[in-house]
Amino acid sequence: MIPRVARNVFCWLVVLSLSLPLFIVAGVSLNQKKLMFFPPRGLSMRWYEEIFTKSAWLDSLLASLGIAALAGVLALSIALPAAYFLWRYRVFYAKLLFSIGLMPFALPPVITALGMLMLWVPLGLAASVHGLALAHGIFLVTLPLVMISLGLESIDREIVEAAETMGASPSRTFSTVILPMVVPYMFAGYAFVFVISMNEFIISFFIGQFSLATLPVKIFSQLRSGYTPTIASVSVLFILLAVVVFSLVARFGDLPRLLGAWTPKER
Amino acid sequence: MSAHSRPRGLVPHLPFAWPALMLGCFFLVPFAIMVVVSFFHRPESGVGTYEVGFEFTHYLRFFSPLFARHILITIEFAAVAALLSVLVGFPFTYFLSRFRRRPQVLALVFILCVLSLSEVIVAYSWSVLLSRSAGISNFFVWLGLLAKPASWTPGYGAVLFGLTYFNLPFAVLIMYPQCTRLDTEITEAARTLGASPLRTFFTVVVPMLWPTIMTAAIVLFVFTMGAFVTPQWLGRPQHWMFAILISDQALTRGNLPFASALSMFFMAITLALVALTVRLGRRKIER
Repeated sequence: MIPRVARNVFCWLVVLSLSLPLFIVAGVSLNQKKLMFFPPRGLSMRWYEEIFTKSAWLDSLLASLGIAALAGVLALSIALPAAYFLWRYRVFYAKLLFSIGLMPFALPPVITALGMLMLWVPLGLAASVHGLALAHGIFLVTLPLVMISLGLESIDREIVEAAETMGASPSRTFSTVILPMVVPYMFAGYAFVFVISMNEFIISFFIGQFSLATLPVKIFSQLRSGYTPTIASVSVLFILLAVVVFSLVARFGDLPRLLGAWTPKER
Repeated sequence: MSAHSRPRGLVPHLPFAWPALMLGCFFLVPFAIMVVVSFFHRPESGVGTYEVGFEFTHYLRFFSPLFARHILITIEFAAVAALLSVLVGFPFTYFLSRFRRRPQVLALVFILCVLSLSEVIVAYSWSVLLSRSAGISNFFVWLGLLAKPASWTPGYGAVLFGLTYFNLPFAVLIMYPQCTRLDTEITEAARTLGASPLRTFFTVVVPMLWPTIMTAAIVLFVFTMGAFVTPQWLGRPQHWMFAILISDQALTRGNLPFASALSMFFMAITLALVALTVRLGRRKIER
């Protein structure tokens, strides 16, 4: 059937054009000399070694990892009780809190960045790992909030009622019935916050202000001062990180469901 | 447990306290500061400082040809990029939602990987792709379509390509849930009644998912308005979008009151568009 072929060609074209720049960056990262050629001239892994041997890159990498790990914990600590409270009691202030949690994604991030900058500086939180982790945790709270809510909605309320009829206290019901069912969604939420925090630029740029450069900020400032293929190898590192994390999420979780798919029957 | 019981007393409110405290202190307070500072006075020789005051000076500065130009180019880029990404993204998402489970999950992983990439990395990859030494023009030379390699960055087209690329995975994820909800029986019915696949797509699928398409377009428009790195690297100064002006005022010139006023204005546009999105969403439910 011709339309089927056309459809497949179209899908492959989209996938191909989305991966094209990434292929070229991967190629450029292998150049032997400090030049930007594609196909690469002479193969070398030295630009990958440089990430781990040059302290400027390594410091940025470690800062980024630390910020992302902490931001994920903070985002979960906010999202889990907020989502649970809304699911348990549908009161207006629970809904209000939920909408505030959705706001960071509905506004241009530069606005959030500027607002945070003006609070973080007087509080002495600017240009520190915990300050940036706090900013990312708040900014990215939307992701685990939405995912944990999806998880809670999938719980059959009769099971919860059964636990309570049998005499379980609310906290016991939460820890033995509800929590185990939401844990996969929490992991997914954490993974999303981690990867996006690693990649986030504008808030890191405002709050870190070059004295604490996360990897994207480091790439940005490096490109201003002069090209080095390490930029390309770091980019490849980011792509690999995303591939690994999201493959794990897909392997151990229901990815279509996490992204909001709803299928009445198996296809 | 009844679904709509009310929390009574202090203890049931404990899960509410921490999120409310954190979001209140670190998300709402920064906004309050910004609103207040946008009316403050900026001393002649103070970088990154402001004095308490109440003046509209910063808001009045919008009425200059320079800012008007930057606002217009921001809206233009955002509108065109949103349109392009929905045009490509919608058919892709619809087909994707009809994939079997395994290829569907693989495609979603791929989309998420592209989506998570830093704007810095996307802009950088496009500057490589459009460069003379490593870019796609070399491939066209090899094919015989071009006489010699060309550099296509910085420029209007480069910015537009970069923004569309950056938007496309978001477009897919925004439209994906509704696409999966479209019952296959409906399209099968159209096909049984003799409509060609193309006709089915345009007369059944597109109209049914029209509110989703519109929502995605508006969300992407708002989203692209905030682009920062892409226009700065792939464009010339006349292509600089609004976020760059805010950052330039706040970080380079240290004019926090003016940067705040610019942000307020920017937020007003954004919120108006979000309100429009919500209204469209409501109409969708009524249908």
